[in-house]
Amino acid sequence: MTHFPGKLLLSATRWMVRIAPLILFGLVWHLVCSAQLVNKDFLPSPLAVAAAFVDLFSSGEIATNLTITLFRAAVGLLLGAGCGVWIGVMMARSRHFREYVTPIVGGTYSLPKSALIPLFALWFGIGNLTAIAAVFLACLLPMVVNTYHGVLTTPKVLVWSAEALGTRERELWPRVFIRNALPDIFTGLRIALGFSFVLAISAEMIASTNGIGKLIFMYGENGTYDYMFAAICCVVIVAFFSDRALLVVTRRVLVWHESGAFERERRRP
Amino acid sequence: MLDLDRPKIEIRGVSKTYASERGPVLALRGTDLTVNEGEFVSIVGPSGCGKSTLLYVVGGFLAADGDVIIDGSAVKGPGTDRGVVFQEYALFPWLTVHDNIRYGLERQRVAASERDKIVDRLVNVIGLSGFENRYPRELSGGMKQRVAIARTLACDPAILLLDEPFGALDAQTREIMQDELLRIWLETRKTVLLVTHDVTEAVYLSNRICVMSARPGQIIEEFVVALDRSCSREELVISEPFNSIRNKVWLSARRQALAAGKQE
Repeated sequence: MTHFPGKLLLSATRWMVRIAPLILFGLVWHLVCSAQLVNKDFLPSPLAVAAAFVDLFSSGEIATNLTITLFRAAVGLLLGAGCGVWIGVMMARSRHFREYVTPIVGGTYSLPKSALIPLFALWFGIGNLTAIAAVFLACLLPMVVNTYHGVLTTPKVLVWSAEALGTRERELWPRVFIRNALPDIFTGLRIALGFSFVLAISAEMIASTNGIGKLIFMYGENGTYDYMFAAICCVVIVAFFSDRALLVVTRRVLVWHESGAFERERRRP
Repeated sequence: MLDLDRPKIEIRGVSKTYASERGPVLALRGTDLTVNEGEFVSIVGPSGCGKSTLLYVVGGFLAADGDVIIDGSAVKGPGTDRGVVFQEYALFPWLTVHDNIRYGLERQRVAASERDKIVDRLVNVIGLSGFENRYPRELSGGMKQRVAIARTLACDPAILLLDEPFGALDAQTREIMQDELLRIWLETRKTVLLVTHDVTEAVYLSNRICVMSARPGQIIEEFVVALDRSCSREELVISEPFNSIRNKVWLSARRQALAAGKQE
């Protein structure tokens, strides 16, 4: 118990050190604005953005639109991740499947998925379906590529050991291959999570009547940049915390993995 | 009953060709070897001579031409009658020490109470009590290899296939592990096929040593090791009979290593 206040103080200082760059950034921003180095209409001061943020919050505008955006991102991400893992496993499992899918994956991997949003809008209309389809496609490919890689790099001796210990061929998939691919699957998931925000918001800017993307676009068009910035800040905060949450889950699930040890070593003071 | 004259493993005319970028490579050519029940046989030879390949064929992991017969029936794939220990430990990194040892028992649907008894006993045998809940990455090389051996012994296979099991360990740990293996073998009298490049290890552990030729591998010389193992390791290793057989095997293996060197 005697350690407790000391520990609290230590974590408080560490926290301060972490947010110091952010505070510095805000300060510079504020100085640039108050010194009138740039036109106030084009770059609102941080205080004006904060005021807009509070206004958006209290009016409920953020909450409503954020829920919509998160819904689209989450559905697209879950579907994309699920299908991605399945396709990745199938590619590793069947030569025919791999031969059919590889050119498609290779061809679409580097394509910016946002380029397809106008087409999706044409097919699926304005709203949920277009945004979800865009998120789905963007999340799919990193999951496919990482899952495939993870399964493929399963050491032969692990498979042989499992077989010699009585694992049947069908059981090898859940017990060895997919387990071995988990670190890669989580790497893919982290990339996909980032994409899910990007694509949900891009799709809303182009083809939606609501959502945070629409909000940003609308305030941008109107020239109310303080509100636009407030909406962007909101996205940054949500994206940051969901990434952290995923990292926490990853660390829980992959306690056995070398990377977990590395993190712990580094975090020791 | 243990019948020392009954063939346990019969390898008949086994050949294996690997596909490589520079065309097919013949790893084994018409290899023959019979291992009797309860026998401890080592295979030594230059690296790349196909001795591990032979072990994988016996394990049923690789298909090859020729026949491998265990207890009178041909091997068609891996089986729980043959326990394997690899040089790289091959523990499941996502399972704890306890769960790694339990893995094979679960696959064979051993009753839960029985399972825990076996795991607890083996954890004690390998001297890792207190480490049951550690993951492999938290263990030293020697500890990992102990777990790998325990995992294999848990299923009580009649045959142990050991692929340079102590090759990655430091010299001191290796000797300790050899003593443990010898003790386990003397207790259980399993049939053991050991692949190693360490001649002293082979002499110390086995009844019989087969020297393999450079690629394509074939067994070209055999040595029967008849040593009195009742004395201590120190006494045995410096004794005249031990060194005379060790020197003979070493010279034979060295001839093959030099021949292999010329092939390069």
